[in-house]
Amino acid sequence: MKLTKKSPIPAAAAAAGSDAAAPLLAVTDLVVEFHTPRGVVRAVNGLSYTVEAGRTLAIVGESGSGKSVSSQAVMGLLQTPPARIAGGSIVFEGTNLLSLSRKQHRAFCGENIAMVFQDALAALNPVYTVGWQLTEALRVRRGLSKGDARRRAVELLDLVRVPAAAQRVKEYPHQFSGGMRQRVMIAMALALDPQLLIADEPTTALDVTVQAQIMRLLADIQQERQMGLILITHDLGVVADVADDVTVMYAGRSVEAADVMDTYARPAHPYTEALLRSIPRLDSKGKELPVIPGRPPELLALPPGCAFAPRCDYAQDVCRTDPPPPDVEPAPGRTAACHFAAEVMDHVAPRTRA
Amino acid sequence: MTDPGSAANIAVTTDHPQSTPPGSDPVAADTHSLWSDAVRQLRRKPSVVIASVIAVFFVVVAAFPSLFTSVDPGACNVSQAKIRPQWFGGQHPFGTDQFGCDLLAQLVNGARPSLLLAFVVVFFSVIIGVTLGTLAGFYLGWVDAIVSRVIEVFLVIPLLLAALLLLSLFRQDVSSGGGTFATILQPAIVLTGFGWMSYARYVRASVLETKHLDYVTAARVLGAGDFRIMFRHILPNAISSVTALIPTAIAGVISAEAVLSFLGIGVRPPSISWGIMLNSGAEWFSGGYPHMLLFPLICLMLTILSFVVIGDNLRDALDPKLK
Amino acid sequence: MRATVAGYILRRVLQGILTLFLVMILLHWLTTLVIQLNGNPALAFFGDRIPTAAQLAAVTARFGLDNTCYSQTGNPCIGPFFERLGQYLRGDFGTNFRGREVTDIVGSAAPNTLKLFVVVTIVWSIVGLTLGSVAARTRGRATDTSIRVVSILIDALPIFVLLLIYKYVVTVPVNKWASSKFGSDSFVALLFRPSFSADHSWATLIIPGLLLGLAGTASFIRLVRAAQLENYNADHVRTARSKGLGEGRVTVRHIVRNSAIPVVTAVGFVFTDALGGAVVTEGLMNINGMGGVLWNAVRDSETAVVIAVVTMLTVLTIVVMIGVDIVYALLDPRIRYD
Repeated sequence: MKLTKKSPIPAAAAAAGSDAAAPLLAVTDLVVEFHTPRGVVRAVNGLSYTVEAGRTLAIVGESGSGKSVSSQAVMGLLQTPPARIAGGSIVFEGTNLLSLSRKQHRAFCGENIAMVFQDALAALNPVYTVGWQLTEALRVRRGLSKGDARRRAVELLDLVRVPAAAQRVKEYPHQFSGGMRQRVMIAMALALDPQLLIADEPTTALDVTVQAQIMRLLADIQQERQMGLILITHDLGVVADVADDVTVMYAGRSVEAADVMDTYARPAHPYTEALLRSIPRLDSKGKELPVIPGRPPELLALPPGCAFAPRCDYAQDVCRTDPPPPDVEPAPGRTAACHFAAEVMDHVAPRTRA
Repeated sequence: MTDPGSAANIAVTTDHPQSTPPGSDPVAADTHSLWSDAVRQLRRKPSVVIASVIAVFFVVVAAFPSLFTSVDPGACNVSQAKIRPQWFGGQHPFGTDQFGCDLLAQLVNGARPSLLLAFVVVFFSVIIGVTLGTLAGFYLGWVDAIVSRVIEVFLVIPLLLAALLLLSLFRQDVSSGGGTFATILQPAIVLTGFGWMSYARYVRASVLETKHLDYVTAARVLGAGDFRIMFRHILPNAISSVTALIPTAIAGVISAEAVLSFLGIGVRPPSISWGIMLNSGAEWFSGGYPHMLLFPLICLMLTILSFVVIGDNLRDALDPKLK
Repeated sequence: MRATVAGYILRRVLQGILTLFLVMILLHWLTTLVIQLNGNPALAFFGDRIPTAAQLAAVTARFGLDNTCYSQTGNPCIGPFFERLGQYLRGDFGTNFRGREVTDIVGSAAPNTLKLFVVVTIVWSIVGLTLGSVAARTRGRATDTSIRVVSILIDALPIFVLLLIYKYVVTVPVNKWASSKFGSDSFVALLFRPSFSADHSWATLIIPGLLLGLAGTASFIRLVRAAQLENYNADHVRTARSKGLGEGRVTVRHIVRNSAIPVVTAVGFVFTDALGGAVVTEGLMNINGMGGVLWNAVRDSETAVVIAVVTMLTVLTIVVMIGVDIVYALLDPRIRYD
């Protein structure tokens, strides 16, 4: 099994170089379409965000908002067809990943970007030992010997705080508990020392107590290694402690992007505000938990104006006819795709619905 | 809350408020939509439509042979032996065999034992298989241990070998009279006895899967009896996987019957079947009378092909995951 | 780990022996019942002649059917069963009408069946695996559809029909042409010989083997396709791709390796079908194999031979199924060794 150990990136694509201020990853106006029998669905529809080294970005949205699809586009994991990247760019340290061939794209990501998937039991291969899978990329791409690979596997399991690592590398995924399996996934993602880690709903399938441990682990590792970290989640509550920045997605695009504290304190988009209200809090005990009325939009039949308008508490006539500009700046350093971003942020927007 | 079944349905419908109208049985609704989807999908395929027409044609031939020929297949005249096809207009459109029997009459009357045998065998195999599979999957424990062991024992004996062994012993007793049912009784018993296992296995697996779904648990909590749960809630789900097997199984029995009759131990002379015709026609093929082999061969192939095509598409329609 | 696998294998073998015992009881009970209902099969030995009582008794005794229980309907005939079991264990499988040992007949026939199955296995693995993988890779496109049509056609042509066409329609003219062109002992002529020749067993076995193998490939194509499709989009394969592994490695180590598990479990069932098919193949093509022996025994009403050969083939099936289970256990670490 001898494969390319040389970086297969063409010189031109990598030549742009990296100056210090440039973000680690910049996704700009990304459009991903799916060709279905019922028509073309734009699962990601003009998404933009940036991640800097040493910072954690949380991408928040309901299922179907395009958050997972966009991260798979970054990794080059989309099935094409039915998926098709119809526009935009994904630039990692000056390399536009979309200009690479699929093979180069995957190889590039293998070296620089790693991903932790949601369901670790399904995401690990059931027929190989954990140690084998942990070091597969190292053996294939770095040519590690069997002995070195075994030692490295134990180190990696130690790193993610799996007890008795030396014995457990010989076990199979089904012999691990849910939380331990997710630690294995994280260890595997760290094997090639990536600069950016994408964690797609890493704790959704886990118990609440285990969720917190895994989040802590991710945050610690990100701190130690000064990696970039993208946390994809549907739960704003989960990321509050660990994220630096938040991008809220709705119907395939970013509706709000800001520093995590600002977002929590003064959401500038009605959808963000509604998401925050639906997090259970201790002081709301006994009261009914507010929910966001209605259902996520049908991507095949988006309303002509703002996609959130049918569910929005503040929607006015203009919202139902004109799409909001994507980058209203209600305050320095933050954007929100809402006609009334400033008013919502300042709590002065008039309610049009009870 | 007197009717545990409907109460269970309400408990379920709250889970899927949009997908099922309140008060309706979710199982029935799901299976109905699965079925109507499948039928709609199948109707649009030309291959399925053609196959169905062929299958129905042969079923009609088997059921009403007098519609297609007025000649008595047993009225043979040796002086008219081995006449080549005269096509329509002649006295023997498909010619005659080595005994001077009209080939068309033989073909038409030969369809009945094959098809009747196939339907009888598959019908009783499904009944036995579904019953045992459901009981085993539902009660587990010793019931399952016994059923599974019986399945295993029957499975290691290839169907054809069992049929050869048992039917060859029957040889001495040539049954005469008693109509088509008597003719196919022996092969029907043997082929059913060794043909029910796949249904039992499918149903057992399907019951195991369905048994722990929430709506079944709900029905149980609300006090529904074992039989009600099995027949109202579990079986409707299990049945679709079995249905997909049926057309292919019919084709399988038809071809097994041809082999057995060819060997002289399936349907036996003086009854007529395609297998017997193949046997007698084979030796005349290269002697300049190919029609005696080709006509029964084509009928057999067309029938099997049509059932296989229907079965294959049905399997896809009922299990869209693998399309 | 090793110890548990060994324990599992041992347990599986013991279970197989139990199954074999139950199968023999079942076969014995069924044959007994049929004999009781149907009369003494030894009569067939005499054909149309009416034997004297002494002649009949002698032949009946040779068949081991000289127990009064065979004339009492419903009697399970336990005594003769254990007697026969004892004989089988000593390697005595009885004789045919002409007094030849069944073990001797089978001994000379088994190598040809083995050769036939070598060809069959090659066809299964090459055609089944290749077409199945290609179909999975081209899912929904024209190639996939044509492979599907091919597998439906294979299903629709049972081995019996296929061989009838081959033997009566194809071989005679092709063999005649090849004999006149290359000589009757040329490879091509032998290849298309309408019946088996012991002197050229390989050459005359290849095409019957191809056809028998082809008859089983439809299920393999479907199985391989389904198994690979299931893995092709599986989460763990996506993980492997996310590690930056090449598509070749992902395919071999993750898709093919994992999809081997369901395919292997199906080998046992396809094998039982193929065994039935082998009887038809060897019978129609006059191949002197175990199936051919059985086919002729059925034609000649040689009950003792039929029972003995069916028992041997059942043992073979059980051995294959145990083998399949062991391979399965080695392939899938999730299996519990209990």
